[in-house]
This record gives sequence, C-alpha cells and structure tokens, in this order.
Amino acid sequence: MSRAASSPPPPRRGQSYMAQVTRQVLTQWGARLGLAWIGLLGILAVFAPFLASSHPLLLSQDGQMDSPLLRYLSPADVTLLALFFTALILALARASFRAWLGGVGSMLILAGVLSTALVQPPALAIYEQYRQQEAAGDYDWVLYAPIPYSPKDYQRDRGETGLQPPLASPQANHWFGTGENGADVLARMIHASRIALGIGFVATSIALLLGILIGGLMGYLSGVVDIIGMRLVEIFEAVPTLFLLLTFVAFFERSLYLLMVIIGLTSWSGYARYVRAEFLRLRQQDFVQAALACGLPLRSILFRHMLPNGIGPILVAASFGVASAILAEAVLSFLGLGLVDDPSWGQMLNQAVKSSTFNWWMAAFPGGAIFFTVFAYNLIGEALRDAIDPYLKKS
Amino acid sequence: MSTYVIRRLLLMIPTLLGITLVVFAVMAASPGGISAQSLIEGQNLEPQAKKALEDYYNQLYGLDSPPAIQYLRWLNNASPAGFTFDEENHISGFSLWKGSDLGTSFRYGRPVLELIEERVPITLLLNILSLPFIYTLAIAVGVRAATERGKVFDVGSSALLLGLWSVPVMLTGVLLIGFFASNQYWHWFPTAGLNTREALDMPFLPHWGSLGEAALLLVAGVAGAGAGVGLAKAPRLLRVGLLAGLGMGLGFWMGAGLPHPHLGMSLSLGVLLALIIGGLGYTDYAGLRLGLLGLLGAGLGLTVAAQGGDGEFVRGFLLDRLWHLVLPVLCLTYSGFAFLSKLTRTAVLENLMADYARTARAKGLAENTVLWKHVFRNSLLPLITVSATLLPGLLAGSVIVESIFSIEGMGKLAVEAVQTRDRELVLSITLISGLLTLAGYLIADLCYAIADPRVSYD
Repeated sequence: MSRAASSPPPPRRGQSYMAQVTRQVLTQWGARLGLAWIGLLGILAVFAPFLASSHPLLLSQDGQMDSPLLRYLSPADVTLLALFFTALILALARASFRAWLGGVGSMLILAGVLSTALVQPPALAIYEQYRQQEAAGDYDWVLYAPIPYSPKDYQRDRGETGLQPPLASPQANHWFGTGENGADVLARMIHASRIALGIGFVATSIALLLGILIGGLMGYLSGVVDIIGMRLVEIFEAVPTLFLLLTFVAFFERSLYLLMVIIGLTSWSGYARYVRAEFLRLRQQDFVQAALACGLPLRSILFRHMLPNGIGPILVAASFGVASAILAEAVLSFLGLGLVDDPSWGQMLNQAVKSSTFNWWMAAFPGGAIFFTVFAYNLIGEALRDAIDPYLKKS
Repeated sequence: MSTYVIRRLLLMIPTLLGITLVVFAVMAASPGGISAQSLIEGQNLEPQAKKALEDYYNQLYGLDSPPAIQYLRWLNNASPAGFTFDEENHISGFSLWKGSDLGTSFRYGRPVLELIEERVPITLLLNILSLPFIYTLAIAVGVRAATERGKVFDVGSSALLLGLWSVPVMLTGVLLIGFFASNQYWHWFPTAGLNTREALDMPFLPHWGSLGEAALLLVAGVAGAGAGVGLAKAPRLLRVGLLAGLGMGLGFWMGAGLPHPHLGMSLSLGVLLALIIGGLGYTDYAGLRLGLLGLLGAGLGLTVAAQGGDGEFVRGFLLDRLWHLVLPVLCLTYSGFAFLSKLTRTAVLENLMADYARTARAKGLAENTVLWKHVFRNSLLPLITVSATLLPGLLAGSVIVESIFSIEGMGKLAVEAVQTRDRELVLSITLISGLLTLAGYLIADLCYAIADPRVSYD
C-alpha cells in the first residue's frame, strides 16, 4: 500500500509468476529489512559454535596444534554447516529453484546420516579445564571464539576465582549479562536462534503439508469427505491452539523434534480451510475439467494443476504462520513447558522477573529477539500479500 | 432459520466428542500415561498407605480399566443423558436427564464444576474490561486510517500496528511489571493478584476523612482536565512548546521518584516524555488530542491534589481492584486492538469505494455524514462477527497474562491442570472452551444474518 505497491515494476516477458512476486516483494523496504534480519539469524544459527563457545577455536600445547572446538562439534552442527554451504554454492551457481531444492534436500539426508554415524563428540565437556590450563601457562597460545562461553557453561567466569553471581547485569565480561545459573546470555541467545528458526520452518512445513493434503482432498472430493474433514478442522479450531499445545507438551517428553511436530500438528487447520475454499473454486474451472477429461491421475490433477493455481494466499498465511509458531514455542518455554536445559528465548524471558527482582537485561535482549523475529516474518507476510493479492494491490 | 440453528447445534455434538477424544487420547498415549501409580508418585508414604491410596484412586476414577472404557465412563458421566449406575457400579438404567457430572479434580480434590465456577468470573472480568478499550481505539484508528488512505497517518499507523501486533504479550507483561510494579523502579502498581489483603475489609467505595478533601480532589481533577483541553485548543506553536516543557518536567519528576535517582536517567526520561507529549500536541487529529490531553490533565490534577491531602483516605475495594487490573488489562488490550483496527480499516475502505457511498456523496451529503451514517454502519458487520469469536480467543489469551500477573483465573487453572496431569480438569476445560468457541461461531453467523438482510441460511 506504500508507493512501491501502487507502481509495480512492469512484468518481464517470460518471467515466472514466482519470480515476479519475489521481485515485487523485494521492492518493499519492510520486506527487505525482515529478510535481512532472518538472514542474520540464519548465519548466527549456522555458525553458533564458532561464535559462542567455551572450547578454544585453536590452541597450541607443547608445539602441537589442537582444536577442541572441532572435536566437540555435534552431528547437528556438522549437518547445518554442510547444508549452508551446499545452499550457498547452488545459489552462487544460479541453479534453478528445483535443482536448489533437490540439492539441499539430498544434502540434508546425506549429511544427516553421515554425521550421526561418523561425528561423535566426547560425552562430557568440562569447560573449566581450558581456563585453568591457560592460567597455569600450559598453552603456548590460545584462540577463543568471539564470545568465549558455551550456552551451558554455568557458574564460571574468566579472570576471577570462585563462582560468579548468577543473574549479573551486563558488564565487560558478559555483554548481555548472565542468566539464573550464571550462563552467558549472549551465548545462549546465539544458540537459541537455532531453535527459533528451526521451529518456525519445520513446524510450518508440517502444518502446511497436512493442511494442503487434507484441505485439497476435502475441496476436490467434497461430499462425505468434506463433511468429515470439516468436523476434523472444527475440532482443531474449537480448542484454543495454545491450550491444545499445553496439553500435548505437558504429557509428552520435552524434545525439540517432538515440539516441532506438535506445533505443526496443532496449527494445520487454518491452511486446510484455505486450501479447501481455493480448491472448491478451482474445481469448476475449465482447465481442471480438461485435465480430468484427459484421464490424468488424481495426484497429477491435485498437485500439478490445481495446487500451483491456489498456492498464493496459502504462502501468505504460511509466512504469518512461521511467526506464530515461533511465538508458540516462546510462550511454552515462558510457561516452563519448553525444552529443559537447551537455550530458548522464551525461557530466558521467563527469568526477567524471577525472585521478585527485575532483571532488565533478561527482558530486553531475549524479548527483543523474539519481537524482531516475529516482526520480520509479519513484515514479509504483509509484503507477500500485497504482491499476491490483486484486490489489495488496488487500494 | 430455526432448522439451520438445529442442524448447527446437532453438528456441534460430534465436534465436541472429537475434541474430548483427541485430548483424552493424548493423555492416555503419553509415556507413563495417567494411572493411580503416576498420581501418587513422589509422595513419601508407607507401602501399605500407598497401596490403599492406589486402590482408592482406581475405585474413584476407574484408572485400572483400559483407556477406551475410561473414556466411555467419563463421557457417560459428563453427558446430560446416559446410563445411571447403582452402588456396585452396575448399570441400573438409562436416563435422559440425569445431569452432567464433570468429575472431581485429582489435585484439588474438589468438584471440577465448582473450581471452574470460581475461576470463570475472574477471567471474564479481565476480558470484559478490556473489550471497550479495544473497540473504541480500534474504531477510532481504523476509520481514520481508511479515510486517509495512503497519507502519513495511514502508513504510520499500519506500520505501528504491525509492530504492536508482533510484540509478544509476555514481553509487555514482564516489562510493565519490571518498570511499574517492582520496587527497583516506580512502584506504582501491585505486582500480583487481584486485590490486597486489607482491601477485603474495606468498604466498597473510596472515601475521605473530610468532605473538603474530596471536594479539593474533584476541583483539581476538573481543573486539570479543563487546562488540558484548553491547551489542546491553543495555537500549535504555543501548545507544542508548553507540552514539551510539561513532558520534560514530568520526566524529571519520574526520575526523582526512582530509588536510586540518576541524572542521565532523568534527562533521557525528560526528553522522551517531552517528545511524546509534544508530539501529541503537534498532531492534527483534534479528537485524539483533546481526549488524551484532557485525561492527562485530569490525572496530573488528581496527583497534585492527592499529594497535598492529610492521608485520611481509604482506598476502598473498588479502587483497589481497579488498581490491580490496570496492567493486566493493558496487556490484554493492545494485542486485540492491533488486530481489530486492521479489520476496521479494510472494512471501511471497502465500503468507502462502494457505489452507495458514491451515490450518497453525489446527493450532496457532507463527507462526515456519508462516513458515519452510511459507510460506518455497514462496516460494523465484520466487527460484529469478530466480537462473537473474540471471547473464547480472549479466554485462551489470558493464559499468559494470568500467569505473569498471578491472577487465579481460568488461564492459570488450565496451565496448572496440565502441569499436574489433572485429567478431569484438563478434559473439562477443553470441553468448556470448545463449547464456548463453537457457540461463538454460531452466534457470529446468526448476528451476521440479522445484521445483513442479504444473508440467509435457508
């Protein structure tokens, strides 16, 4: 609705619909800022162990070089790094969207399997040993990460003896202060960006997949399938999502992957409604009837012919959905029903008003991170809607 | 119409069954599940007492039977029509009006219905208080944005609203508590609960030691409001200058009120408030300016007058309750407001471009008449629909607010119920919130048909 929307760039000949939409989204400042923030978070998430870790990046002991950080890399770290570089290379080579998707997908499976089989970090990490050995002069030289604390490096501090008071306000050692166990807030926040991004993407993908499948079948087949499907949609809509989530999470073990699945399972109904309405409209149109007359299989009609024509509004909804999935995880963690020991922004925000004192840094930094991420996805969603919805474009 | 309502009511039954089935299945399928053993786990009891307690729970809730039987048993108890049992748990007959029994809470040992009856009014109070604010603000901003499409107010307000919409309620709650309720900053509001202990013994209305003092407060409030309104009507340059000065003064006063006054803090507060209040004076939106400045003036007058009193003042139950509700209601208001004003804007925009609006204008009606008498009335339709669906949504939204402010409402009860694996409570809360939501949808559809003669469900 800004000036950019009222004078859209002229469509190029031979450019696909998706490319046009992307171009138009990118003309809006809000969307650019949002994408920049998500990109920054993505880089933080991929390189988290290199940015914030108590393991030295490199050290030299008795003339021998060693890198404890590499030894302690987990399978998830390795998989993420492999994925990032594959995506980067494919993007630089200007591969088509399909090749890009295939490349990243196969890399995910390959790297995931290989790294779980081959990468086995030592089970126990004693972060203190590096500081003690460094203080004792055992190392010739040590190179630490920019933030020399791991997210679970509790109660210890550099240059001082004894236990550091938990919940200390920001100082020179800890730029963003420390949490209730004495862990560095900035280090935890960097590692938590993984959870925030991962939950957003994976949960929304699961919800989208379920929604498209159920909604598509409902809209296309209608009749009895539609009636049963609508009851299913109503069931999931009639219970407030937050409450359903609470129930799920409280009764199952706390694991990141389960959390993703559960948030996905509880938020598909909106997409199903959209897809159903869209398919009910499309079903009557000539090209679908033509495809039907040609004797194409159901799979082909549904996903090759109908879906691409109805995907626009669903993508807009998905972009807002990512924001609400991130918010859902934050709320769960805030209520103390999230992951137990893993860093999460919501769980850190929970510590802001612990024990009747107000720790402003625990509210400002993690809370600010949640706000900016949710805001970024909402901005992107808004820009996407302006680009896709021809009715709103006019106004 | 009546056939439509009956059909909708009948369709609610399978949905409600489905809701409880889903929730029951989740609880039954969870690792550990719910059994008499898991209920008394962690209690330090003699083996014999443990066994007795287990038997007691098994007898009471049938926790040793297979999940399917347990579900059917619960369903039979909860539904108003069903089988009745005699003393030895044998079916004694079938009754259509045996009344529904939602069971007894594991944790509290009290009937679930009683617990819910206790908590619902509190959550309703919170939500009903916030609804008028949401609607007034949303309509004011939404209509204004639509009439000024593409201008500064529209672009600015929609960016601001999107931002406001993205601020998580828990962050707002934590910040409000931290700055305005904790004793590290301004200890203006209470941190938790709905009333102080003493307030229970107080009379309902506030009262003062002397009549003169009450009169002083009244005069000061009215004078303050008058001064605010007068200032809002003054020429722009004058009012911006005066208001900025006032903001600066307020900032310094707030800075001095801190437990550890700090010059930099006071200075930045002063500049911030000068910008905000000065900007309020700068705006062209006369209604907004008059209203907010009047309120500000009244508040200032009251504060100044209260400082001069001799302390013979009893707060009273009502004022105490309101004082506790300010921050939670603020939290609940802002998120709904952002959503609703966007909706208002779209609706008004759509109707402003409609043919009938053009006709009204061509007829020579003033723009304001067209807007409020014709366009606005038609734009109310989507707002009516949303209001019916808003209430159950607000019930869920108060989960966070109630947890932050430790208010013993439905939301907090729900969190406690799932945390303590209180099966009967969880099932009942889902059933009731599901019922509310479905009823909300139905009422919304009916309102739509009543308000818009083009819609019919026959």
